[in-house]
Amino acid sequence: MNIHNTPLSQQSKTFLEDLRVYLFSSGKNTDEIEEVVEELTDHLLEAEKKGKSIEGIIGQSPKEYMEQISNEMPVDYMAWFKYIPIIILVGFSITILSDLGRGKLIYSVLEVVGYLLIAGLFLLATFTGLKYVSGNHFSIRKQALIFGVLGGFPMLLFVGLIYLNRMVETPTIHFGLAGSIVIGVMALILIIAVSIWAKTWILIIIPALFALPDVILNQTALQENTQLLLSSFISLGGIAVFLFISFKMSKD
Amino acid sequence: MSTTQMLKGILDGCLLAIIKEKEVYGYEVAEKLEHYGFNTFSEGTIYPLLMRMQKEQLLTSTLKKSTAGPRRKYYSLTEKGEQELERFITRWDYLQSNVNKVLTHEYGTDK
Repeated sequence: MNIHNTPLSQQSKTFLEDLRVYLFSSGKNTDEIEEVVEELTDHLLEAEKKGKSIEGIIGQSPKEYMEQISNEMPVDYMAWFKYIPIIILVGFSITILSDLGRGKLIYSVLEVVGYLLIAGLFLLATFTGLKYVSGNHFSIRKQALIFGVLGGFPMLLFVGLIYLNRMVETPTIHFGLAGSIVIGVMALILIIAVSIWAKTWILIIIPALFALPDVILNQTALQENTQLLLSSFISLGGIAVFLFISFKMSKD
Repeated sequence: MSTTQMLKGILDGCLLAIIKEKEVYGYEVAEKLEHYGFNTFSEGTIYPLLMRMQKEQLLTSTLKKSTAGPRRKYYSLTEKGEQELERFITRWDYLQSNVNKVLTHEYGTDK
């Protein structure tokens, strides 16, 4: 519904628009947001016809009122679920690009199957976890714990896969130069597209911070141990600085 | 203590009683409350309450087209809501008579 076509006062229109954004950024379901905005539009229309002001309806602080409304609405975890396949694809793309940095793409069958299986398992676990969390009222700490375990579990599996891959010999798939380039370009396009869509630099900066120090330090005459130490120091320090800057920026 | 603070909890029961009477939409609820003399609190307060009561399955709502403007959400009581209203009435009677007794007793000894 378009509130701008209604004869509401500018103050009411601004409030309703703010409410919509507030609820949306709090992760509420869009249909439910529309429902409550519609209900309040109706109320404000009737009230303004009788000459009442918006302060008499929502009280002194619009922010406080929005919070009250927001508290009564559950977070729509299913909407976030849409983002997970994108996250997995981006994860694959970053892995592929960093592998490409070391030469042509060669994967063992075990790696390919393992990656796909773990990604699938991760999706399933997240799906179940989200449903479980959204259906219950947990404290923030408990929610963090649940998602921490859900996120950490595939990480462990990935590490396990890397070790297993070293121990067990399976046929390898060589993509060759042309194949590697095609896959690399596709991965790059995906990362850039997602970055533009999500309006974020994080997907480009974090992998670059991991990959670039290696490449640059390789050109120097430093000892390998020093290189390793420096490279991880630059990577982690750079990420800390980046997170600090983006945190500062989001607060402004 | 302000009236608004005292009203917390009691308003729930009033909303249940108003909605039990007939199916109503938000603005009507506010108007009725005003009509009964509640005119010191902000009307919008009822919406978070209505939302919570709906979550607790005391109320159900249906969207109906209105002659002008947006669709309207009409509320009605569920069976659980009716039971809650009865419990509220019992609690209110108890509270009201005790508070009255305290107050009249106080006044009685003063005189």
